[in-house]
Amino acid sequence: MPKFFVYLGLTVIVLAMLPPALIARARTRNTDARRIHYIQDMDNQPKYRAQHANPIFADGRAMRPPVEGTISRTADVDAGHRGRGVVGGAWATTLPPELPMTMERLERGQERYEIYCTMCHGVAGYGDGIINKRANELMNNPAIGNGTAWVQPKNIHEPEIREQPVGQIFNSITNGIRNMSGYGAQIPVDDRWAIAAYVKALQRSQSARMEDVPPSRRGSLPVIDLMPAEEE
Amino acid sequence: MGRYHFVFPRWSNLLLPGALVVGAVTPLYVVLVVAYGFSPKTTDVGYEPAQPVPFSHALHAGELGMDCRYCHNTVERAAKAAIPPTQTCMNCHTQIHKDSPQIAPLLESYQSGNPIAWNRVHDLPDFAFFDHSAHVTRGVSCVSCHGRIDRMEVVYQHEPLSMGWCLECHRNPDEALRDPALVTDLGWTFEGTAEEAAAEQARWKELHQINPSQDCSTCHR
Ligand code: HEC
Ligand code: HEC
Ligand code: HEC
Ligand code: HEC
Ligand code: HEC
Repeated sequence: MPKFFVYLGLTVIVLAMLPPALIARARTRNTDARRIHYIQDMDNQPKYRAQHANPIFADGRAMRPPVEGTISRTADVDAGHRGRGVVGGAWATTLPPELPMTMERLERGQERYEIYCTMCHGVAGYGDGIINKRANELMNNPAIGNGTAWVQPKNIHEPEIREQPVGQIFNSITNGIRNMSGYGAQIPVDDRWAIAAYVKALQRSQSARMEDVPPSRRGSLPVIDLMPAEEE
Repeated sequence: MGRYHFVFPRWSNLLLPGALVVGAVTPLYVVLVVAYGFSPKTTDVGYEPAQPVPFSHALHAGELGMDCRYCHNTVERAAKAAIPPTQTCMNCHTQIHKDSPQIAPLLESYQSGNPIAWNRVHDLPDFAFFDHSAHVTRGVSCVSCHGRIDRMEVVYQHEPLSMGWCLECHRNPDEALRDPALVTDLGWTFEGTAEEAAAEQARWKELHQINPSQDCSTCHR
């Protein structure tokens, strides 16, 4: 057989192995390379979706922030009890009338508390969440701390906080206080009330006595120790 | 008749079997290359763009155990699972690691008000409609569509997100269902045997009348 055919055959075989090799590589590795779309169809239409970039504006946002001094027509504005936690110039002591206290609301509050608050304040509210723990380690070890300056999150069972009306707690959640930022933009208003209600329940739970429990339910209470262990 | 005959060389006897082999292998080869090469598992899965800030889900959502909804707070209410604004990061990072060079772009963005230009990882074509709230509130966990984000240092696309993939689950969603309260707990699995889990999931589907639509207009509107 002429050498030419042998070389041709070998070249074809080697070339034919390239696509499978590239495919195998693409299927087993993560890459920073753009996704391949062989057929573009209308994949990328000349329109802007939420959180897309638009180079026309200096800040690159397609979603325009509201002009200063204006407010969205659909914004949930409520300058009264529900919106600000104030009734007649003083902190509200009850939930707003449109959000009556129910077991569902408390359970909702518990769920939301565990999403937004436990990392810092701890499951039971003693200011002993995992972020507090980690931040203290970082602060005590400047070599890895990169300037971490941490103030322990409030223990919500301190006397002056126990005495705060639910409206004031709602306000602290909404607008922040001292080192804690406000969560008004992050948590919808009804959920903030649910959390405030749950915080009040949590505070009461830590000094609850058997007399607070209706006699019919006393026998069925699970015994759980939520007090944190003493630390040096 | 002439004195000169053309004599096929001996090796030409190989041509017929050779052609048969090539003829048989080539179509198979082409089919396989097209099937695998054009599959979104090849072209889309594993896309892992570099991000402007070395934010780690493995640290925040995994080790520190933060709930996905702390940052992606619209995921239960809206079609979009919003990428958090810088303010969300600054809830902690005004204090934690505040002088770290890795946090510097966050501070910069916080002070200037300009957003951080995160690179999109998951991106459906613009003609397809997707809604997070419809899935998350019905008990489909993030893990079904995004993989173990809580173990990723850098987010990458874990699933093909092709139409066939969407429909596979819409035809038979049972295995993806769980209590909606647990959707952000990516490591969660049913306790008990596979049969018990399947029975529980079937019961759940029945109870909440979960019946994902396969109409074109559900996703192309
Ligand atoms: C501390 C805030 C934070 C938490 C908690 C968090 N994320 Fe993220 N997530 C981000 C940021 C910031 C980005 C954008 C940068 C990136 O892609 O890494 C992102 C990106 C993503 C993306 C890719 C988005 C895209 O561009 O397609 C997915 C998917 C995602 N997160 C899922 C999750 C899941 C699931 C959880 C819960 C296990 C979670 N995230 C928890 C902040 C967070
Ligand atoms: C609930 C608090 C919290 C939030 C919110 C948070 N982080 Fe963090 N982050 C931490 C903690 C704690 C560490 C340090 C962990 C360690 O070093 O052990 C950290 C570490 C980091 C680091 C590594 C810094 C270094 O120098 O090692 C980066 C980068 C980072 N976070 C980015 C972000 C971004 C971006 C966001 C917003 C999407 C964010 N973080 C939101 C708590 C938070
Ligand atoms: C049924 C599948 C599915 C589930 C469940 C799901 N996602 Fe997604 N996610 C997607 C798809 C598809 C996209 C791309 C959407 C697009 O391009 O419009 C996406 C995009 C995202 C993004 C980028 C921003 C956006 O909305 O486009 C984030 C962040 C995200 N998902 C987080 C989450 C979190 C957190 C959860 C769990 C609470 C979750 N996802 C559950 C399929 C899913
Ligand atoms: C892991 C399972 C799963 C995957 C994957 C999945 N879905 Fe779904 N989808 C569901 C379930 C469950 C529902 C809720 C059905 C119900 O409420 O009865 C749903 C509902 C929807 C709805 C809302 C329908 C309505 O009635 O409003 C849309 C839109 C949708 N899916 C689009 C998609 C798209 C697009 C994809 C692919 C990117 C996808 N889904 C992938 C399970 C899935
Ligand atoms: C569960 C959601 C869902 C349903 C139902 C659905 N599609 Fe799709 N479809 C998608 C998604 C997601 C894509 C984009 C896939 C990709 O290319 O990334 C897509 C892509 C397509 C494409 C473009 C394919 C290409 O070459 O890029 C066509 C055409 C299409 N769909 C037609 C239909 C028709 C016709 C129906 C009804 C029989 C239908 N779809 C039902 C989700 C859906």
